[in-house]
Amino acid sequence: MSRFVRTRTEMEGRYEDVWALVDESDDTESWAPDAALSLVGRPVPRQDGAARAAGRARFTVDVRLAGTLHAVVLRSPVAHGRVRSLDLDGARAVPGVRAVIGPDSELSLTTRSPLLRGEPGYAGAPVAVVAADTLEAAHAGVLALALDLEVLPHLVDVEEGLREQRFTADPTDEARGDAEVALAAAEVTVELSLETPGQLQTALEPHAAVASWEGERLTIWVSTQGMFAARDELARAFGLRKSDVRVLTEFVGGGFGAKQGAGFEALAAAELSRIAGRPVRLVNDRHGEQLDGGRRAASRQTVRLGASRDGTITAIDADAVIGMGQGGWMPPVLIPARTLYRCADVRALTFPVKTNLRAQNAFRAPGVMEGTTAFEQAIDELALALDMDPLELRRRNHTDIDQVSGSPYSSNQLLACYDRAAELAGWAARGELREPQPDGLLRGMGCASQIWWGGGGPPSHATVRLDSEGHATVMTGIQDIGTGTLTSAQIVAAEELGLPLAHVRALGGDTAPNVYGPIAGGSQTTPSVMPAVRSAAAKVRKTLLQLAGDVFEIAVGDLEVSDGRIRSRDGAIDVEVTEVTAKLGDATIDGSGSRGPNPGGFVVHTFGCQIAQVSVDAALGEVRVERVVAVHDVGRIVNPLTASSQVEGGVLQGVAFALTEELVVDPTTGIPVNAYLDDYKIPTIADTPEIVIDFPGIADENLPTTGTKGLGEPPIIPTAAAIANAFAHATGRRAVALPLTRDRVLEALA
Amino acid sequence: MEVILEVNGERHSVVPSGRRLLAVLRDDLELLGTKLACGEGACGACAVLVDGRPVNACLLLAEAAVGHQIVTIEGLSVGRAHAVQEAFVAEDALQCGYCTPGQVVSATALLERTPAPTREQIHEAMAGNLCRCGAYPKIERAILRAAGSA
Repeated sequence: MSRFVRTRTEMEGRYEDVWALVDESDDTESWAPDAALSLVGRPVPRQDGAARAAGRARFTVDVRLAGTLHAVVLRSPVAHGRVRSLDLDGARAVPGVRAVIGPDSELSLTTRSPLLRGEPGYAGAPVAVVAADTLEAAHAGVLALALDLEVLPHLVDVEEGLREQRFTADPTDEARGDAEVALAAAEVTVELSLETPGQLQTALEPHAAVASWEGERLTIWVSTQGMFAARDELARAFGLRKSDVRVLTEFVGGGFGAKQGAGFEALAAAELSRIAGRPVRLVNDRHGEQLDGGRRAASRQTVRLGASRDGTITAIDADAVIGMGQGGWMPPVLIPARTLYRCADVRALTFPVKTNLRAQNAFRAPGVMEGTTAFEQAIDELALALDMDPLELRRRNHTDIDQVSGSPYSSNQLLACYDRAAELAGWAARGELREPQPDGLLRGMGCASQIWWGGGGPPSHATVRLDSEGHATVMTGIQDIGTGTLTSAQIVAAEELGLPLAHVRALGGDTAPNVYGPIAGGSQTTPSVMPAVRSAAAKVRKTLLQLAGDVFEIAVGDLEVSDGRIRSRDGAIDVEVTEVTAKLGDATIDGSGSRGPNPGGFVVHTFGCQIAQVSVDAALGEVRVERVVAVHDVGRIVNPLTASSQVEGGVLQGVAFALTEELVVDPTTGIPVNAYLDDYKIPTIADTPEIVIDFPGIADENLPTTGTKGLGEPPIIPTAAAIANAFAHATGRRAVALPLTRDRVLEALA
Repeated sequence: MEVILEVNGERHSVVPSGRRLLAVLRDDLELLGTKLACGEGACGACAVLVDGRPVNACLLLAEAAVGHQIVTIEGLSVGRAHAVQEAFVAEDALQCGYCTPGQVVSATALLERTPAPTREQIHEAMAGNLCRCGAYPKIERAILRAAGSA
């Protein structure tokens, strides 16, 4: 029986109380931590790997509809300006141009108004959009707009914004106890100030949408991490029923947080398509994507720590000044300071400064990654001041209680992560790295800890359909943006159904079936969706065995299904599943499942530890990351193959954050100067260190039925801090800003 | 002006109109496996083989490809290329898959000229193919695996 329960959900640290639909008759029992599972926990190649490797995967940019118009966005060339003139009619007169919208156009969409601004607040802000028969004609239309702007004063210097108190929201002051008094009383204190860079998500498939109307029904392909959010946003914007909007997003060429909901691209494409009466394709060019796709906000952080001589942290006082750009949700930069270690006296001040850059948005572990980068360096400074092993200091201040709520963690294997990482990295011998090296380079090893949410929760649903040929289809609300979560759903369903993997296929990326799944963000897909998949599959298995009982005239309790065969416990029956399913004819066995709420009284988090080894060329200022050991506690691992891929990807983005990636903004003009792929340096294969990965892999028994947590964000969180700590270990110096460019390294070593 | 392009062993009559090879492949021939990501030769997502060598199709004028043998990801399904694709899947050398066609094209070209590459040779040959998801460790393993199976 279905019931509504009141429960608390979490997305990147934001909690919300919601009604969740749960199935009370669902008696799926949790897999025991030591359960003998045949598929879950074994490496499985992606079910759609062959399509991706052969170039058959169809991304939004590949959608081709007859009569499609191509849209080009006119973007503000200045950081702040006011449109003096914009010749929309001139653009409309260009041959092939079919629709043009500007700041003053009357639009049919009713929300997110204005879609286009006559006073753009950042370089790259959309001012107008032209749709035409060809891309070339659309570009000609943009030229014909003859944009004339009055240039207004801009502000991109965060310190200046702080002085002028220009905030996107009120600064926050989160405190417990009295950090000031505790600091004054501390036996040992350290203080560290440093800057972290703006980082661009840089998905290789840019933001893109292809919109097509049939009467009052909208079909739209969107390169998004959140197809249901996109559907709801579009339905609201155009006054449609949700069921009259179909969002398709089967393959997404990367997101990393930047592709939330419909976005400007889907709204603009739908609007232009409505005006022109033809499908419209809007794909950002690379420069537009780097200017307007999103950004991890740059920050300046100061951390003051107090401790007693035995290494007990007694005071944490941290502040963060965040370059928000035009706005957006405030990233939780000081969560690591507030929660990573046991401490009663904590103060965290956050200043969200408004600047003339695009609104910052989510980038893999938003806030927490840059917060960890500063906080975990301060912890190493404290270890130095105490003359204590940095890992030992972390162990000493470990806690199993969430420091903000006072509730226990549902599970926490952080101590095991420390031990395993230390073993894999050869931590005990790290001192030897500082002895003179044969190649003349300086070497060092550093560690950092990781905390993130990642417990998932309702609502999340799945349906499983078994056909007469013994093949099952799993319908989910997953957007598999490259994480491999559809393959995980395939594995979990096959495990529960007792079918071979090849006979199970998981589908997602389409809102039409209306099987809801969460946005592919916040490390919540796996923990949210897998229990729903398991529950749906369990119902199908039960029905299958009941039908087998009818066929073989045997009690259901004496039957089991595994490896695609139905067997009786006495061995008398041992047949292919199709012996039963063939009798279905054209009927199917269907089951639906939902994700139950997380149990009350616990806080769910993921944990981990990374240890980096670096070499430093003191003459050239070159830092190379030689090795990263990454051990993360994310509960049970469904597919170690794709899980290790997630870790490698996170580590590499963290390596780049530490060494090469930085959005550089010209203070004179307020314009980003490296918003291209040739000068915004994302890592190449030649920059890749050896990455050693392990997971405790212990199921979280307090989480429903699969014991899994999310893994998207954890691996990026501690990497840069571990590298910076390794740099300090190697050189005895700490750079006051990341990334560790040659210039900064030479300055630090001078 | 109409020209003949030889793509994946077939002759196609196309009108380049000053466009790059990538635009002609995707828009005229609907060979959609080759991807546009940067448009300035910085990422390798548009890599195709021209007379067996990997070339960024976003920088090559379509007219300049006349008289040369062009092979796109769609034309790479036999022999060594097939082994590369199988190795990419087996090693999970792909995540979102957007850069993967270009990676497979470059890896195939590498193995054609260097059947048993070292780690350094792989890094040198593949450094022009960016993967934002960070599949690099497994791309390296996949290339070594394909080399071993060839």
